[in-house]
Amino acid sequence: MVEIGHFALVLAFALALVQSTIPFLGAVSGNDRLMAVGGPVTVTGFALTALSFVALTQAYVVSDFSVANVWENSHSLKPMIYKISGVWGNHEGSMLLWVLILTFFGALVAAFGRNLPATLRANVLAVQGLIGAAFLLFILVTSNPFARMVPAPIEGRDLNPVLQDVGLAIHPPLLYLGYVGFSVCFSFAVAALIDGRIDAAWARWVRPWTLAAWVFLTGGIAMGSYWAYYELGWGGFWFWDPVENASFMPWLAGTALLHSAIVMEKRSALKIWTLLLAILTFSLSLLGTFLVRSGVLTSVHAFATDPSRGVFILAILTFFIGGSLALFAWRSNALTPGGVFQPISREGALVLNNLFLTTATATVFVGTLYPLFIEAFAGDKISVGAPFFDMTFGALMVPLLAMVPFGPLLAWKRADLYAAAQRLFAAFGGALLAVLAVLVVVDGASVAAALGIGLAVWLVLGALTDLALRSGIGSVGPAVALRRLAGLPRSTYGTALAHLGLGLTVLGIVGVTSFQGERIVAMRQGDTTELAGYTLRFEGMRTVKGPNFTEDQGIFALGTAAGRDLGEIVSAKRLYPARQMPTTEAGIRTFGASQLYVSLGDLTSDGGIVVRIWWKPMVTLIWGGALVMMAGGVVSLLDRRLRVGAPAARKRRDKVAAAGAPS
Amino acid sequence: MLFWILAALLTTGACLSVLLPFARRPAQAPHASDHDLEVYKDQLGEVERDFGRGLIGRTEAEEARAEIGRRILRLSGSAAPADPAKARDGATARFAAMAAVLAVPLVSWAVYSAVGSPDVPPQPLEARLSGNPAQNTMEELVARAERHLAANPDEGKGWDVLGPIYLRMGRYPEAAKAFAAAIRLEGASAAREAGLGEAIASEAGGIISADAAAAFTRALALEPDYPKARFYLATAKAQEGRLEEAVADWTTLAATSAADSPWRAAAEQAIAEATRRLAGGTTTPAGEAPSGPSAEDVAAAESMAPADRMAMIETMVAGLDEKLRQNPADREGWQRLIRSYVVLGRKDDALAALKRAGEAFPAGTEEARAIAALAAELGLGSTE
Repeated sequence: MVEIGHFALVLAFALALVQSTIPFLGAVSGNDRLMAVGGPVTVTGFALTALSFVALTQAYVVSDFSVANVWENSHSLKPMIYKISGVWGNHEGSMLLWVLILTFFGALVAAFGRNLPATLRANVLAVQGLIGAAFLLFILVTSNPFARMVPAPIEGRDLNPVLQDVGLAIHPPLLYLGYVGFSVCFSFAVAALIDGRIDAAWARWVRPWTLAAWVFLTGGIAMGSYWAYYELGWGGFWFWDPVENASFMPWLAGTALLHSAIVMEKRSALKIWTLLLAILTFSLSLLGTFLVRSGVLTSVHAFATDPSRGVFILAILTFFIGGSLALFAWRSNALTPGGVFQPISREGALVLNNLFLTTATATVFVGTLYPLFIEAFAGDKISVGAPFFDMTFGALMVPLLAMVPFGPLLAWKRADLYAAAQRLFAAFGGALLAVLAVLVVVDGASVAAALGIGLAVWLVLGALTDLALRSGIGSVGPAVALRRLAGLPRSTYGTALAHLGLGLTVLGIVGVTSFQGERIVAMRQGDTTELAGYTLRFEGMRTVKGPNFTEDQGIFALGTAAGRDLGEIVSAKRLYPARQMPTTEAGIRTFGASQLYVSLGDLTSDGGIVVRIWWKPMVTLIWGGALVMMAGGVVSLLDRRLRVGAPAARKRRDKVAAAGAPS
Repeated sequence: MLFWILAALLTTGACLSVLLPFARRPAQAPHASDHDLEVYKDQLGEVERDFGRGLIGRTEAEEARAEIGRRILRLSGSAAPADPAKARDGATARFAAMAAVLAVPLVSWAVYSAVGSPDVPPQPLEARLSGNPAQNTMEELVARAERHLAANPDEGKGWDVLGPIYLRMGRYPEAAKAFAAAIRLEGASAAREAGLGEAIASEAGGIISADAAAAFTRALALEPDYPKARFYLATAKAQEGRLEEAVADWTTLAATSAADSPWRAAAEQAIAEATRRLAGGTTTPAGEAPSGPSAEDVAAAESMAPADRMAMIETMVAGLDEKLRQNPADREGWQRLIRSYVVLGRKDDALAALKRAGEAFPAGTEEARAIAALAAELGLGSTE
């Protein structure tokens, strides 16, 4: 089974070579049969990669230590879920997952792209095949997960304990679905450049892929943030760590792409800019892969630092980014530019959105790469930390966020800013009230914190206002308004939900950074401490043995200041003997959107233990908001108008539409 | 064999996926402008829907309709009929298709033969540990025993077997645990106590700690002649700087062991090493207290070929011999030299040295008596 998986991977590489050449030749020479090769080859390539992935997973499940990768990253006593998620908890396996998802998206394009123009489809598949071939070669040459060991060791070296968490089962697959999903947009952009023309359907076609990738990337980043929050034991949710930034840059660029694609779809404008954004977004995804996988950055994500891998990925990076940008420079003149438009209009607002988002991306880019360049060329280690990003990125975000509610209310082509502002009056009033309430109710709240809360409320109410206005609440009767609300296009709901989720995330971030409470105390058995109206009594320690670790649990009795008993919180430190590595397992109790976070420190000389307790108000809104954003993306993805009509399918759909609409 | 059949099937499937489009008649693909037209029609429909819902005003709807209409007009102006000649299969296309179909097996089998290991069977852990024990490697056997003992930790026999194996594999902490468990469950024996001592000492890089020495002493209490315990206790003395006592103990051990006993060889080697030290061997700087062999010394001696080791020892003995020729009034030196010759099996040299020592010390002196006693102990004929 193992070697069949290995062979399937090699075969997938051979097919990727065919996929990257034959459809392209067909598109150039106008040969339909050659172009048609792309479809079956892409689907077969995906099947083979999947077979290969299954074979590796099976080797993990049965603990086949004759596979070096299994030996290095698994242990026979590990719980089954970590045996499976451990497949991608290492460099080789994660690259295989990357390629699996790439071929998966290729197969989706092949399967659902039957009504695309033939040359566009052939070129898209060819570009996908080229990316796949490059990464398959990278895997086979520098990071083969199927390398064997003779004789086979009897026990594995276990997975990094920090990764032995359910987060590993969710975070990397979501993140990769996001990263790699943008490869489809990239391929569409490059295909359009090769073709020298942008179909009117181009933006419609790219938008669902952008949306899907964006939804996954949002989820992946949020999950990674929550994982770091509860696993690292100090309750931070975002560190401006280069690895985080590496995933954040494609997200910012992807968000910009999402918005510019709307303009392109609705108004046939911003065509060339959208192409460029599609190229840049995937380039940033590749850059993220390079930064994380090359060993340039040392973190929990850098599984192995092998210079040859870094050079190989750098070569891939240079080829695809350099090649696509060169193609852009060469061919973009051939494309027909879109029309011009008024600055005060929906498209004008979206351009402004793009300006801010790309500038923000550039800021993060500079903050992430500048220290690396300094280190590479001058040998100095400098650190660009949170203050830099707060100053620059934060300053860019505030005006952008303030403008978000206006965008959906502006009409296309020519809009009335004053009218839009009037309609947002209620939302603005609500936000102002929130600011005042925070200043009055919360003791010692800074003006900045109050304004931050106000901004978040403004975003939430602005999104709701959009829905209310569109359904005519207030101007028509409630029954009519309700029917109209139900009949709104799903994309409208998507926009509102995404903007609402953004508001919730902002609310969580402002809340937790402004009103967080912290207490670090040395506690002995029976000691009581208090934070934010809750009391914690240290009941003592107990040792628990897990399947492949031992755990020292600190038991805390939780109660309110008034004396009501709220059960216990268990916070623990684990030791994984196979790697002799400790981890912390924070004790977390959720109250509404807020959390009490208890983490154990070192033992003190007098028999006590250092306990760190945080009160994190509204902290779960950060990730809850991301979930709402994802929901918005999914709802928008389900919108009818995103299906592209192929000429042949037209009649049938008319009938369906007629049958489905009784009114 | 099964692997090759499956690999061949996969390859065939992959080739078929390349061939598939050539086996079908391609449907006449609609021209690209048809797709655009479709999009514009959809947009017109959406404008109508928005207008119907009251989302946009009448003038805006009319403007939008007019603009979409302009786009449709532009489209019909630019639409050119597809070139039917291009759609036919040219010779180049056939060649490309053939190359692609051939490339799949060629590339895959070539790459796989470079990176794959088709002869290595899969080795799931469960199958390795539950199959025929005769086919297991030592490590697998140990793992089987470990699993068994994890389930039945009170089976002393298992620990008894595992202890010496761990020791041989260099897994000293586990060996110490196994010996301790065997002693706890099966009762103390000289072999188990000495094994425990050896495991503790080996873990400490050969240094006999108090714990290890205690274990060896317990072994000797149970079995006074137990050679391993005697050897290591002598080593402990040597490490404490009591080299003479150590040499004496080793000598007794060597003398009382059978000729083919490994402990005899080990003792003789230890004696030679100690002798070198006592002779102020080249590697011990003057003034430094004699100590037990460091882990590096042992490793160096072990990595040395036997012939080299012998040559090293003989050079040292020759050096001692020469020193005693120049300065014969050194009783301990003579004793060392004679003992060394005996250990090295050079009985004639030993007798000659004994004779020269007799010349150095007049008969009846204390030195002469001590040397005579040594000679008797070593089984050399008396010169008197």
